[in-house]
Amino acid sequence: MISVSELTKRYGPFLAVDRLSFEIARGEVVGFLGPNGAGKTTTIRVLTGFHPASSGTATVAGFDVAADSLSVRKNLGYLPQEVPIYPDLRVTEYLHYRAKLKGVPSRERRVAVERAMEKAGIADVGRKLCGQVSHGYRQRVGLADALVANPPILILDEPTSGLDPNQRVRIKQVVRELANEHTILFSSHILGEVQEVTSRVLIIHRGTLRADGPPDQLVARTGVSTLQLGVQAPAANVLPLLRELPGIAGVPQVTADGASSTFTAVVAAGHDPCAEIGRRLLQAGLAVRELRLDRPTLEAYFHAITEGSERASEPVAAATSADAEAAR
Amino acid sequence: MNRLLVTFQKELFSYCISPVSWIIAVVFYLWRGFEVYGVVYSFDYYRADQDLLPSATYGLTSTFWMVVLVPGILTMRTFAEERRTGSLETLMTAPVRDFEVVVGKWAAASAFFALLWLPSVLVLELLQLGPFLDADLAFGPVFAAYLGMFLLSGMLLAFGVFASSLTDNVLLAALLAILFDFGLMQGPRMLANNLGAAGQNYYVRELLDKFDVMGNFANWFARGLIDTSQIAFYVGGVAFFLFLTGVSLSSRRIA
Repeated sequence: MISVSELTKRYGPFLAVDRLSFEIARGEVVGFLGPNGAGKTTTIRVLTGFHPASSGTATVAGFDVAADSLSVRKNLGYLPQEVPIYPDLRVTEYLHYRAKLKGVPSRERRVAVERAMEKAGIADVGRKLCGQVSHGYRQRVGLADALVANPPILILDEPTSGLDPNQRVRIKQVVRELANEHTILFSSHILGEVQEVTSRVLIIHRGTLRADGPPDQLVARTGVSTLQLGVQAPAANVLPLLRELPGIAGVPQVTADGASSTFTAVVAAGHDPCAEIGRRLLQAGLAVRELRLDRPTLEAYFHAITEGSERASEPVAAATSADAEAAR
Repeated sequence: MNRLLVTFQKELFSYCISPVSWIIAVVFYLWRGFEVYGVVYSFDYYRADQDLLPSATYGLTSTFWMVVLVPGILTMRTFAEERRTGSLETLMTAPVRDFEVVVGKWAAASAFFALLWLPSVLVLELLQLGPFLDADLAFGPVFAAYLGMFLLSGMLLAFGVFASSLTDNVLLAALLAILFDFGLMQGPRMLANNLGAAGQNYYVRELLDKFDVMGNFANWFARGLIDTSQIAFYVGGVAFFLFLTGVSLSSRRIA
């Protein structure tokens, strides 16, 4: 449904997006991740036809965004990052206006507006002026606007930014419901949220694609987990035992506090030594106070490829494109 | 075409619920009311030919300032405000063509401006009644004069829309438009009077004459004369500025 090939966008000398390529199939819900300023919004603006690409091509619903922008926009519901709405219109008036502008036939308009308002959870503020609704509601009015013409593709640019936790839950729920009927590109920098809602993530950084794949696979690729262990014994008694276990790549942190000690160990990918440690410590007659394996998170992965050195991030990108090939 | 109509309706609605529009209307009609009263009073006092009364109301100071100030104030928000708040993005990512937005916004401003003038026609109609003048004012010249006014203001509003598309500063858009309107109303005549020898050149004189909108209004439309070349001038002006607005709007697409 969305196909981007070698997309490059420059603002004067500033390179915002650099030869970005990806494909999104019908029915996919894809998270679009990246730190602030990575080029997410720029890419989205090219896809929605608001800005042109400097080079490269993009097609949405089979139409070229540059050559046939109108057809692209007919198939697209777009929620911009900051939802600007006309403050002097009532919510329903605004949505009726948008429905008219998007060519919803007059006979279906009332139903379309009501359905969009219900989906976005704003049925209770229809009579309010747009300028008087809270930020959370405004975001949802924008979502209702994106939904009103029932387009096959939705592009949501940080739909949850600035919302309180309850509103975020509500938006996530809405996105999950919509996933059955729409192809969705969902940009965010709140990773947990993306992990919950989407089946695949694209991570971009400095305008280039750094990773592409299902969140759990990407996370698994980070490799290392951390083991937290607390024992009622001096560190010297435990360390040798810990070090000889398979999968323990190192014990970078040891804190001793009188009779008890705490360890933080690095565990290689695919290993879970918890049961074995428990068994051995019991055999040795040592009392365990804490034993926990922290699996890698999307956050750690994201951090590694966007904050880590360029050197560290390159192999990841290579691995992911190989994976993407395999997935296809 | 349908989307042009949608834009037109929405914009006209916005004008109708905007307090600025009503403040303009109230100030204008208070001022104009006093002026028209003065004209009627002096016509009565000097027993002047009442057929000339409508044309005496066209040259009033309130007319001049209405034409200089109001187009810029009405159109200042059209694009500048959308740019400032970011709603331009929502608007232009809807399936709507640039020209439909531009023409729709301009048409709504023109319609509202015409609506602002409507009561002044009604005043002339009222004056014909027995208790006032008991005269039979000719409809033709009044129609021609208002057509001229509509054409001129249409062009000034088109410039206003263009000025608004250049900036995200509403005040700057209004100032640009007001400067242009004032310049067009006064400039050609001032130039013609101060050019000296160059002003005697046939082409220069003809050119300045075409752009002398005040003179053309007084000599043609206000006398009930409709000249097709002048209609072409104003319609061309509208098309020119709306085209420039389209270019300015699509310049965001130039990478």
